[in-house]
Amino acid sequence: MIVVTCPVCGIKGDETDFHYGGQAHVRRPATTDPVNITDEEQRDYLFIRHNPKGLHFERWRCDRGCGKWFHAARDTVTLDFKAFYGITELPPVELQQQAKGPWADYFQSRAKAR
Amino acid sequence: MLEARFETPLANCEAATGTYVSLREIGERGMIDLRGSAGDKKFLAAAKAVLEVDLPKQPRTSATWGDIRVFWLSPDQWLITCPRARAQDLSEALSAELAGVHSLAVNVSDMRAIIRLEGEGVREVVMKGTSIDLTHGDYPPGSVRRMRFAEIAALLHVVEDNVIDIYVFRSYAHYAWEFLRKAARKGSEVRVFPKAV
Ligand SMILES: [Zn+2]
Repeated sequence: MIVVTCPVCGIKGDETDFHYGGQAHVRRPATTDPVNITDEEQRDYLFIRHNPKGLHFERWRCDRGCGKWFHAARDTVTLDFKAFYGITELPPVELQQQAKGPWADYFQSRAKAR
Repeated sequence: MLEARFETPLANCEAATGTYVSLREIGERGMIDLRGSAGDKKFLAAAKAVLEVDLPKQPRTSATWGDIRVFWLSPDQWLITCPRARAQDLSEALSAELAGVHSLAVNVSDMRAIIRLEGEGVREVVMKGTSIDLTHGDYPPGSVRRMRFAEIAALLHVVEDNVIDIYVFRSYAHYAWEFLRKAARKGSEVRVFPKAV
């Protein structure tokens, strides 16, 4: 059983009290640069997702509780949640550093952009 | 001519007899849905001016003032319960006081049914329909939360240690009532939590 904790209202419950909302941190390229967006960028935004074995970052909704969206870091092998964090936030720094593959690239690019 | 007559959602339900906690409908409460930002001082002040009580800001808590109760539902939503006869005036007073503030106050008294469970074992009966651990210290009297209950959306209010109100949408009232009637049937005690609190 996956036990989820909502970082907004604090309720703890099994998966059925919540709703999985797909991969976290998907950014719509057209928001920042609508004129110069390429077909590839739009394709990646719509269809291409990471499928890591290990640490992954997801969106969840407190479906039957406060109704708010939030982020979660989860290990896809052990199903262990590593952190729950706000919907406008990035994961805790130590998890960003543990991330591998496309997630590592992504967090590095976000750090550079700041 | 037929005259329109108000009926509570469970007016025609079968009485709960032979149960180990008592079940009854609370039909005399009115409800107001209040939305606005907990970070907006003007909104908070306007709500307090009408309700005479601060909106609770802690998740899963409630506040009481006289015959008014305010439930925290989310960082931008509260449910106010009051005597049914006062609900319309109160929601209009809120709307007037909140004029110009990004917010919403709506009388939703007919939206939900309230079922009151009373007696030793209420927590156990509710736990038959939800994954929440109500024996945990997280749910003292005054606690409020929405939950998945018997596969439907419901709101839980722990009134006292052995008194729990379940709010469900009106169209689910009979279903929830029948579920609880069976969950509370004498002889179906689980006794896993002999002292539930
Ligand atoms: Zn929540």
